[in-house]
Amino acid sequence: MKLSRRTVLKSIAATGAAATSPGVFAPAIAQAKPCRLGILAPRTGIAASPGISGLRATEWAVERFNAGGGIAGRKIELVIEEETSPKDTIERFQKLVQQDKVDCVLGIISTGVALALGPVVEESRALTIFWDGTTQDGVEEKLPNARYLFKSTDNECEAVMSSLLAIKHWKGQFKRIAGINPDYSYGRNNMAAFIALLKRFNIEHEVVTEQWPKVGTMELTSNVAALKAAKPDLIFSSLLFADLPVFMKQAAAAELTKGIKLVFPAAGFQHTLMKKDFTPEGMLFGHNTLYFDNPNATPMAKEFVAWYADKQKDYPNWEADRAYFALASYKAAVEAAAKAKGSAWPSNDDVIDAMVGLSVESLGGKGSWRKDHIADQTFVQGFSTHNNKYDFVTLDPARIETMYSADLQKPAGANFWEWLKTAQFKI
Amino acid sequence: MRRAPSVILIVAAVVALGLVPVLAPPFYANLLVPFYGYAIALLGFNLLFGYGGLLSFGHAMFLGLGAYGAAVIAGVWGIKEFEIVLIGAALAGLVVALPLGWLVVRYTGIFFGMLTLAFGMLTHSVLFKFYHLTGGDSGMRVPRMRLLGLEFAAYNKIELMAGPFYYYCLALMLIAAFLMWRIVHSPFGLHLRSLRDNAQKALYLGVRVHQFRLAAFVISAIYGAIGGAILGFRTGLADPELVYWTHSGHLVFMTVLGGFSSFLGPIIGALALTLLQDQLQSYTQYWRFVLGAILALVVIFLPRGLAGLAADVGSFLSSPRRRPGPVQLPEHSQPGVLGPGLRRDDVA
Repeated sequence: MKLSRRTVLKSIAATGAAATSPGVFAPAIAQAKPCRLGILAPRTGIAASPGISGLRATEWAVERFNAGGGIAGRKIELVIEEETSPKDTIERFQKLVQQDKVDCVLGIISTGVALALGPVVEESRALTIFWDGTTQDGVEEKLPNARYLFKSTDNECEAVMSSLLAIKHWKGQFKRIAGINPDYSYGRNNMAAFIALLKRFNIEHEVVTEQWPKVGTMELTSNVAALKAAKPDLIFSSLLFADLPVFMKQAAAAELTKGIKLVFPAAGFQHTLMKKDFTPEGMLFGHNTLYFDNPNATPMAKEFVAWYADKQKDYPNWEADRAYFALASYKAAVEAAAKAKGSAWPSNDDVIDAMVGLSVESLGGKGSWRKDHIADQTFVQGFSTHNNKYDFVTLDPARIETMYSADLQKPAGANFWEWLKTAQFKI
Repeated sequence: MRRAPSVILIVAAVVALGLVPVLAPPFYANLLVPFYGYAIALLGFNLLFGYGGLLSFGHAMFLGLGAYGAAVIAGVWGIKEFEIVLIGAALAGLVVALPLGWLVVRYTGIFFGMLTLAFGMLTHSVLFKFYHLTGGDSGMRVPRMRLLGLEFAAYNKIELMAGPFYYYCLALMLIAAFLMWRIVHSPFGLHLRSLRDNAQKALYLGVRVHQFRLAAFVISAIYGAIGGAILGFRTGLADPELVYWTHSGHLVFMTVLGGFSSFLGPIIGALALTLLQDQLQSYTQYWRFVLGAILALVVIFLPRGLAGLAADVGSFLSSPRRRPGPVQLPEHSQPGVLGPGLRRDDVA
């Protein structure tokens, strides 16, 4: 090709004109750069099962969103780090923010880690959405005015719902109650909430024994023996990690679960391990914000469960919903803020403002964000049945109950125990 | 004269550490703050283990004591001067270590290890169970504190950690290392080594066995509590996992990785493990498996740890015509000796 001085000058002029034209190169550059999302989730240890469920849902959502153009035109790229101890997780978080320069951090299951990480998030001014972690020390909010951090629903939601359902369905059928709950603030608060609600509704009861095994304890025969000796009419348990199926096996072997009422608000965390051999029918069984076999689920949720079963040979637990909800909320907020700004990529502050009050259809149902940056989501519980195609228990389709967390968690700034005494519950 | 290259290396390392906040991305300065906490704690731990021959499996309790001490002094009492917190943490370490040490130093080998493990787990249970005092599993918040009376209000916490607090911790580590160097090279240090190598012989020579071991135990506890206060400030939380036995194992790992027969070995181990863990966690979810394999390889092939390897490489390079002879293992890694202060005869 022959190049003349005129041709070269023309080319330079054309290039310069194109480069300075608004809306030609700048957005193309912005859109070519992927939207980097940092994920903090446990992949080993007792919280590995929910962590992996959340990661798989995130991958599914990213595939789906990227096929539709990503977030406001930018493809999503994940940077995954592990959630472990508070100290190490803070380091991982700082790596995501300072080193990987992610646009948003999502994840966190442990409230212990979340409590330590919350102030660091605020100091870093890095938009962060927790899957399942709160910044409540017990039931007391420690970060009431968070700006950059969005937190999950209160941990006690499922216990409040189970307590209300137990009162609704079994009032007058039990008096002697027993508890076996993990020995940390979650387990203690759940049991205390159950008792507080029994008092609130004037249910005559007597606590015959309370067992507090350490989280992850796999030898629970002494607890089973103590429960059996106490002869309860009802057992309330917030066991939710790998110790739950172990307890159920040992309880079934000791014939503890025969003929008594069982209230297990968080059993859905281990749902595929709750085998029919040792898990009775008719127990009150909580699936938190995602029940994989919900006949009333949306087509999107059914598509996700089918994909999960096909690819992973497993069925998702509620952490999948929490992870999807966090990511879908971020996408919706960015796109709403971008639209308001005429398609330019919004600032963190714009995204945060767009998040507040935002509603998203998540895998388990509707979810939204309160002004105090705490999520509201749809909770599902019901009564176990063996009448299904699986080797584990599911919920009796005729007895599935759904509640929105606006009716299950305290309002912003309220004291949990005072709220339990005065709230208008819809039983 | 033989010390000159070592001194140059140490000065170069200190200069390199001092340049991290200037030259490296802020993430690395942040990452190294816990290293300083561990380095100080391990200087004390190695006085007990490397020089005294007493392997504690519950030493994390002193780090926890420092972190909880910081939470109480700064968070509950509202005294936000970090120097006062350090003094308070050191005093807490002293007060707890005196009666505890009085009991445990009467035992050596596996019995000393088991007793310290038991007291460590007892401390964990107390922190975990006494919700109203300690916050249970949620722990206690450690608020932001002033350094040398300065607020550093213009800095957010991450900037504070990567800047002023980084240099503060570097200075603390240098002071702690200098003091420990004087301790191990004093007659006290010599006595301690004699107890490690042959306690019975030392006793016959008039060494007050229990008193010297108790002094080492108390000093190591004070160092541990100071390290714990740094960790607590850095994380903003004192939680029971700091005291859990796996954290004590972490301290042992760092010391073995760096080399417990060398003064600087534990510091090298703390630095190596901090950086190694950071890289491994980014690459694989099986990072714990890799760390376990590395520990096994170090114990088998590098019984003197990274510091020993560096010394061997240094002597090889300084005498190029001579191939190094067989590596002279420390007394406690030779056949018949299971570990410092623990001979095969002791468990037979």
